[in-house]
Amino acid sequence: MKIFILSSFFMMSFFTLFSQTKGIILDADNKPLNEVNILFSDQNILLFSNEDGEFVTELDIPNNSYISFYKDGYSSKILKYDSGVELKIILDKLHIILDEVGVIESYSELGNSRLINIEKKSLSSQNSISMIDDIAELSGVDMISSGLGIQKVVVRGLSGMRVVTYLNGMQINNQQWANDHGIGFTDLGLSEVELIKGASALKYGAEAIGGLLYFKDAPFIANDKLKGFISTGFNNSSLLSNSKFGVKFNKKNLFFNLYGQYAISSDYRLPDNTYLFNSRFKQNAIKFSLGYRYKNWQNIFRGQIHTEVLGLPGHVHGDPSKVNLTEITSSELNLSSDFNPTRPTQFVNNQLLIYETNYMINNFKFEFYAGHFINNLKEYEKWTRPAFDLDLSNTLLSPSIRYVSDKLTLQLGSQFVFQENKNNINDRLVPDASSYNLGPYVLVEYEKNSFGINTGMRYDYKRLISDDQVLDVDYDNSFNSTSFSSGLYYRYIDHIFRMTFSGAYRSPHVSELFSDGVHHGTNRYEIGDQQLDIEYANQIDFKYQWSNDHLGFVLNPFIQDISDFISLDPTGSVISGYKVYNYMQYEKVEISGVEMNLHYHPHQLHNLHFEQSYSFLQASNNSKHGLALVPANSIKNKILFKFNDYERLLKFDDFSIYHIYKFKQDSYAEYEELTDSYNVINLQIGLKFSSKFYCSLGLNNIFNETYTPHISRVRGVAGGVPNPARSFNINLKYEF
Amino acid sequence: MKKTNLLTAATLCLALIFTSCSKSDSVECHECHIAFDGPNGEIEVEIGEFCGTALEDVEAPGYSHTIELTVVDGDTVPAGTYNEIHCEEHADH
Repeated sequence: MKIFILSSFFMMSFFTLFSQTKGIILDADNKPLNEVNILFSDQNILLFSNEDGEFVTELDIPNNSYISFYKDGYSSKILKYDSGVELKIILDKLHIILDEVGVIESYSELGNSRLINIEKKSLSSQNSISMIDDIAELSGVDMISSGLGIQKVVVRGLSGMRVVTYLNGMQINNQQWANDHGIGFTDLGLSEVELIKGASALKYGAEAIGGLLYFKDAPFIANDKLKGFISTGFNNSSLLSNSKFGVKFNKKNLFFNLYGQYAISSDYRLPDNTYLFNSRFKQNAIKFSLGYRYKNWQNIFRGQIHTEVLGLPGHVHGDPSKVNLTEITSSELNLSSDFNPTRPTQFVNNQLLIYETNYMINNFKFEFYAGHFINNLKEYEKWTRPAFDLDLSNTLLSPSIRYVSDKLTLQLGSQFVFQENKNNINDRLVPDASSYNLGPYVLVEYEKNSFGINTGMRYDYKRLISDDQVLDVDYDNSFNSTSFSSGLYYRYIDHIFRMTFSGAYRSPHVSELFSDGVHHGTNRYEIGDQQLDIEYANQIDFKYQWSNDHLGFVLNPFIQDISDFISLDPTGSVISGYKVYNYMQYEKVEISGVEMNLHYHPHQLHNLHFEQSYSFLQASNNSKHGLALVPANSIKNKILFKFNDYERLLKFDDFSIYHIYKFKQDSYAEYEELTDSYNVINLQIGLKFSSKFYCSLGLNNIFNETYTPHISRVRGVAGGVPNPARSFNINLKYEF
Repeated sequence: MKKTNLLTAATLCLALIFTSCSKSDSVECHECHIAFDGPNGEIEVEIGEFCGTALEDVEAPGYSHTIELTVVDGDTVPAGTYNEIHCEEHADH
């Protein structure tokens, strides 16, 4: 049967009818533009224009497929493909090339970026310290971390289960409820991340009340030649070595991408030249994507295996705030032993398998998505016995239909999620549990001239069952609620106004309901509460944008009310030497703030860019003072100079200075402490030795500032363990 | 062309140089200690090195270790039987 299916699959290619899609891309002076990215978004296929500005593909492109045209330094364009219309595209020179102000129009997986407040960040930069560091450059985004090993995203002060992560359409569940559990994958093969702040991402689940991150792979490439790269990076802070490779292959209707990665790091260096013991980690990843097209029918298979060995730094017995920093740091690195796992350590094994298919006909696109993600987490404090050994499997099935007309887009779909949490040993913090969630949704978008409106509704039914004899849990409960999102868009000359009102809910997680034990990753004894119920969130988000050739400005105030907010609070008691924390619900939490972006470049120097973002956030809790893990307000500045229009002196490609100022955080939970303000400055220089060989050099924390972010995972240990000291990094990439 | 090949070779070499190999651990041996909760924080009383199955035993639930009265850096740990045994490394180098 398997042979028959495989044979049928490959035989289809013999019956494929070839057609051609071609076009030309010009600048405003009618000069051809080469190396323009032409992305067939619905097909996930990328090609490039040649030196005459022309592009041609023999792929069958169905009508109403979205095509996105973009080139660095030019305005981008999105259009709906119409086989009867000649593809002649004019791209205007754009001086504001950094997109953090959101002025560039581009295709988004999360919806129409004109109507919804979607932010994006490219992940293909060679100048990156880490993927999460890159994302944290966006306004309103921070990270919880302890070095480069464990890092996770915080959106407008919310994190964990409230910030939902998708990778190529699959929801990533990897015990993300705890701050010592990172994001669960690396930047290997990824091209971009999209972010919705707040509860507007209906298509991808109701529980993203803090925000939704959608990571997507680099598209397939339509090219007869094998393409690929090898890259390596080194950071002297922790002697991090990170090597990757990637190849892309295309033969007619068959597309294949393959990537691999190996990274190893020792303990990172602090500004006082000591090393944070056990902040080391190792990562391996391999992933592939296989695409096949038959006329209007597209199939994509993706697979990924990712393993991590993560040290848990700041481990102490007893009260972590009372230890001295010298007890958890080493005066020097021992190269023969300090790359090896010690204790406590997490061993993480993630496996992801995805099948996605779509068929387009006339104005309709039919999609079906199936994904399966398995996360195994073993946490060792002892050498021979794990403290936890948990398997979390997640299966997602999602059919949908999209109807597109001139002005109207309608989407109907549903998500079915089955999740199983299974302990492999008797020692456990959370019980065996399973849940299934059914969530049908409808989304409507309407655009006419400079006006647009979108609205959507989703209903979710979730049943959670736990029958765990070890922890004596017998629980069977269901949660259901409706979520919604409505937005208005209006453009007046260069002014864009966007307003979104959304509401969502989150049902309690098994860790919040049933935890009962020591959590070594957080140095706490955590106790759940089976009486916890749904938390509800409502958000109003207003975004104003204005830009001309030289200046861009974004103002984005928001307010979010969360009722029955689930929180982990200290009780004042101690069990087995660990402070006891109880899960409980606050009646109401209000999070409000404003984010601003400013982008400027002088007329005389179009390649010089100044960009600033301001994030101001206030979180209040009407039943207690302060809220835990609320990031301090910040100002982020970036100065970038691109040498691409100049005779390259010494092969310089770009030069950037990044500065972040974090204000003092004096609004904190009762078990937290005030955190002082700080400045950090990083420098990056990009060198392009040829069109294929790129190098970046970076100097991070150049003034060797001693600082601990308020939301650092080790903020409460030894009065706050500082972030890495001044360090340099070098990244090399060769493309073929 | 020659230049490109040289650059390719250089990049590959760098990738190999930066890629370390992990060691395989056969029989693990680790120093273990009693963690005594003293008035000024935890006091560690070394109880020796344990390997293989002995290490498994000392880390098993219910294991206890008996010591005489011991003084560690001026702090006194009374004689007795203790079951709070830890064998993980600490930042002591």
